[in-house]
Amino acid sequence: MADAKWGMVIDVDKCTGCQACVVACQSENNVPINTEDIFNQRRAIEWIRVERYWEGEFPDVKARFIPVLCQHCDDAPCEPVCPVFATYHNNEGMNVQIYNRCIGTRFCANNCPYHVRYFNFWEPEWPDTLTHQLNPDVTVRSRGIMEKCTFCVQRIRRTSREADRDGREIEDGARELSPACVNSCPTSALVWGDFNNKNSKVSNLAEKEMSHNGSHHGRGYKMMENLGTSPNVIYLKKIDKHAKETVAHE
Amino acid sequence: MGGSATAVAAAACGVPEKELLVQAPLEMPEDLVTGLDNWYATIDRQNRNGIGIVVRVMEGRAKKIEGNVDYPVNVGKHNAIADAGVQSLYHPDRISAPLVRTGERGEGNWEEISWTDAVSRIASRLEGVSGEELVLVTSPIGGHMGSVVNSFTDAFGSTHLQYEPLERTVLQASIKNVFGQDVMPDFDIENAAYVLSFGADFLNGWVSPVRFGRGYGDFRHAEGRERGTFTHIESRLSMTAANADDWIYVKPGYEGVLALSMAKVIIDEGLGDDAAVASLTQNGTNDLSQFDPSNVSAVSGVPAQRIREIAHEFATKRPAVAIGGGSAAAHTNGLFNLNAVHSLNYLVGNVNKKGGVIFNPMPPIGLPVGSRSSSFQQMSTLSDRMANREVKALFVREADPFYGMPSSSEVRKASFGVDLIVSFSGQFDDTTAMADIVLPEHNYLEDWGTDVPDPGPGYQVVGFQQPVVRPFFENRGGHLGTKNFGDVLITLGEILSNPLSLPGDDVKTFKDVVEQGARSLYGLNRGSVKSDDFRSFWQGVLQRGGWWDTGARYDGPSPTPPALPVSPQEPISGSGEFALVPFESAGLSDGRTSDLPWLQALPDPISTAVWHTWVEINNKKAEEMDIREGDVVEVTSPRGSIKALAYPHPGISPDAVAVPIGGGHLGGGRYSKERGSNVFSILEPLTDDKTGALAWGATRVSLRKTGDWVRLSKFENTKPDISEDTHRKIIPLTNG
Repeated sequence: MADAKWGMVIDVDKCTGCQACVVACQSENNVPINTEDIFNQRRAIEWIRVERYWEGEFPDVKARFIPVLCQHCDDAPCEPVCPVFATYHNNEGMNVQIYNRCIGTRFCANNCPYHVRYFNFWEPEWPDTLTHQLNPDVTVRSRGIMEKCTFCVQRIRRTSREADRDGREIEDGARELSPACVNSCPTSALVWGDFNNKNSKVSNLAEKEMSHNGSHHGRGYKMMENLGTSPNVIYLKKIDKHAKETVAHE
Repeated sequence: MGGSATAVAAAACGVPEKELLVQAPLEMPEDLVTGLDNWYATIDRQNRNGIGIVVRVMEGRAKKIEGNVDYPVNVGKHNAIADAGVQSLYHPDRISAPLVRTGERGEGNWEEISWTDAVSRIASRLEGVSGEELVLVTSPIGGHMGSVVNSFTDAFGSTHLQYEPLERTVLQASIKNVFGQDVMPDFDIENAAYVLSFGADFLNGWVSPVRFGRGYGDFRHAEGRERGTFTHIESRLSMTAANADDWIYVKPGYEGVLALSMAKVIIDEGLGDDAAVASLTQNGTNDLSQFDPSNVSAVSGVPAQRIREIAHEFATKRPAVAIGGGSAAAHTNGLFNLNAVHSLNYLVGNVNKKGGVIFNPMPPIGLPVGSRSSSFQQMSTLSDRMANREVKALFVREADPFYGMPSSSEVRKASFGVDLIVSFSGQFDDTTAMADIVLPEHNYLEDWGTDVPDPGPGYQVVGFQQPVVRPFFENRGGHLGTKNFGDVLITLGEILSNPLSLPGDDVKTFKDVVEQGARSLYGLNRGSVKSDDFRSFWQGVLQRGGWWDTGARYDGPSPTPPALPVSPQEPISGSGEFALVPFESAGLSDGRTSDLPWLQALPDPISTAVWHTWVEINNKKAEEMDIREGDVVEVTSPRGSIKALAYPHPGISPDAVAVPIGGGHLGGGRYSKERGSNVFSILEPLTDDKTGALAWGATRVSLRKTGDWVRLSKFENTKPDISEDTHRKIIPLTNG
C-alpha cells in the first residue's frame, strides 16, 4: 500500500464521549493497564483519548467531548528532534515509531503540540493470565520507550499481505484494515481511509467539508493548524444552535 | 513446534529459564495454527442487552472483541464494556474449580472439591427441601438458558427471581400500560427528526446503548437527512445530557408532570393528532388545567416558556419520539412519570411508525426474552423469607443481590437463615463470598447459548452464542474446572429424580438444547439463513452469530391511546439537604463489570475520574461549603453513610449530588475488592407504588467534610494544559 496516504476524519458533532475507542485501542495495541498510581503520576497511556471541556455555569452549562489521537502530521514536529530516527514519516503518510531504535530521550513528546506521545516510565506488567489476551502482532513496549497511535499499522500490514497473497483488492473502509477505534465507534464519528484514493470516504468528506481556495463552506478544520503541522486528521466542527457566531478556525 | 530444541538452545546461552517458557505442544489447544487468526461470532454478555460480537482468536486465545457487522441490533458497533470481555475471560482471580466453604459463612475459607462431589453434596442437602423452600436468583435470563431454568423451576416447583439492581420493571410496566406491548419496542432514533428524552441515559447505559448510539450517529449526520434535534431532561448532566442540543434540569421526580404540561400545550394549540387527543383526554373529559406550564414550572423548576418551546418543537419537528426511563423511573411515582412521557408519542402520531416507537414481535419458537426483572419488593420479600428460615436453599447465578440491595433490606444478615447457598459465579462477588458451595460456570466466551435482544430491531432476532475458545480451566481436568450452568441444572434434576423436561429424547446437555432450538428455527423455513440441510443451517447460524427474519414484524392491533394519567403523584423522598442521584459511569455499569481493570481505568465521561467513587457536587455550592476536589466527604442518608471524594463541577444542580454506581464491592477480585464505596448501600427502601420497583432516585442525603483529602485519580489535566485558553481552537463551534 505504498501509494496510500492514511488519514482520519472525526465528526465532533457525532462523538458522544462514550470512550469505546479508548478501550478498543488498549485492547488491540497491548497498552499497559493504567493503574490508580499511574493516573496520579499523570502518566496514563491512552493513544486515543477523549477530552472533556466545560462551558458555562449551571444551568446553562455544556460538557463537550473531542477524541484526540496522533494527528500523523505531514510536517510533524516530533520527527526532526529524534536523534536516532526512531520516529519518522513513512511512505504511507504515517508518523511511525520504531520501538527498538528508541532510546527514550523524550524530545519527541516534548515537541508534540497535541501531547499524544506517551512514555513508558515503568515496565508494563500484567498478571500472568491477562497476558493471554495480548495481541501477538504488536510489540509490548518496555520501560524507557516512547509509544503512540500507529493507526493500527499491524492491521494494515496483515490485511495487505493477505490481500496480495489472495490477489484481491481491499475496499475502502474494510473493517480488517481499519484501526480498532474506528471499528468500535458506535456513532461512526471516526472515519478512516486513504486520502490518495479520491473515492474514499475520507477524501469525499475532506472535499465536502474543508475550505478550498479560501472559500470555507464546510465544518472541516485541523487542530492547531496554525502551527504548520499539516495534520492528516480532519475534525468536523461541533454544531451548537445556540452558538452566537460561527467561530472561524485559524 | 520445536519447543524442546529452543529450550536447550536457551539454556546453552545462559538465558534465564523464566524468559523462555515454551508450552509443551501436547497442552496446546487443538485449533492452534501459528500466526493465523480466526474471528468467531458470538453474543456479548457483559452489557445488559446482548449485542452481537466477533472475537479474534489466535493460537487458541481470545485477543480482541469487535461488533458483529451482521447482527441487526448493533451492526458492527460495540462499546467499552463489550470490548473488555476478554479481561473477564482471563481474569487472574477467576474461580477455577468447585469450592466448598470450610470456615464460618462469609469468612472466606474454601476447599476445592470435584464436580461430582459438589453436585452430590448439593443433591443430598436438597433431600426433603420442598419446592417452595428452594429459590433461584439469576440475572434476567432469556433464550434457551431461560427455557432450561423454567424447566428446572417447573420440575422442582421452586421460585425464580430475576435480579438486577437497576431493574426494568417500571419501564416494562409503562410499555405495557401505554402501548399494550409485552416486549420492549425499539426507539427509532436513527430516523427521528426530534428526540425528547426524560431521564434515559440511552447513549451510556440505558437499555441498549450501542444500538441507540448507532442510531444517534445517523440522527446527527447521515446522507439524505437533516441533522436531528435532541432535548434531554434529567436532574443530572449525564453523558447523554451532554450530547443534547439542550439539557433541561428538572427537579428529580417531576418528569411526569412536565410531560403532561407539554401534552397540555400541544393539545391546547391543536398541534396533536385529533384521534389521539380525543382518546388521551377521554373526549375532553380529562381535565389538564392543573398542568398549565405556569403551575408546572413552579414544581419542576423548568421555566414555563421553555415548557412551551419544547412542546412546540416536539409537535412540529416530526417524526419525533419521546423516551422515558432511567432516573425518571426511579421514584415513588416512577410509573406515573413514564406513562406520561410515553403517552406523548401518540400526540405526534409516531406509534409503530418509522422515526418513532417501533413495536417488536414476540420471539420465535416460544423463547423467553432476557430482560424480565423481578421487582425490589419481590426481592425484599425473599430477604424476609430468608430471615424467617422459610428458604432452605438459595441458588444464585450471574446476580449479585448482596451488593445491589440497599443495606436496609439486611439481605446479608438474612442469608444466615438459609441452610444452603450455592453460587454459580466465576468470580468472588459479594454474594458468592457468602455461599456454602461455589460451582463456577464457564465464561460466556467459553459457552453455548442463545439470546433474544430486548428491544430487538423491530423484527425477530435470536442471537447465537458459541464457545470461541476452549474453557480456560480445561487443563485442570474433568473433575475440576468450570461447567455450563444449564448442564448443572440438568444433572441436579437427574440425581434428584426430578428430570427437567427437555425438548427431545436425545437432548442431554445444554448444547443439545441450543442445537435443538436451531432445529426448530430451521423448521420455520424462513429468515436470514436458508439451507437445504440442518448441518449447513447450523453452521450458517453460528457463522453469522444468529438468526433473524426481517419479515417477522409486529402484526398485532394498533393500540388505542389510554387516558393520560391526570392524577399527579408527588414523588416521596427522604430527608436531607441534597437529592442523591446515583448514576452509571461509562465502564462499571450497575456494578457487574467493576472487576475489569480496563473499565476501572476508563475515565468517566463527565468527571474523567477513574478507580474511585466520587461525589459530584455543584461547583458554586462546593465553594460555599468549602469543599474542594479530593476532599473526603461523608454522604449520609437516613439509612447509612458512605465516603466519597468530592468532584465539584458546573453540570449539576446546587440541591443535588451524584454518586457513580459500581464501587465498594466486598469481593470481585483484586481490581474491585474494597475499592470505593457502594452507593446502593445507603438507598432508602422506597418503592414505586404500582410496580414495587426500587425508587433508587428518591433518597436524600447530607454531606459532611471529614477533613481528609485524597488525590482523585482522573484523566483530566494529565496532559499539559491545552485546554482553557485554547479551548475554542480545540472545539470550534458552528451554528449550522
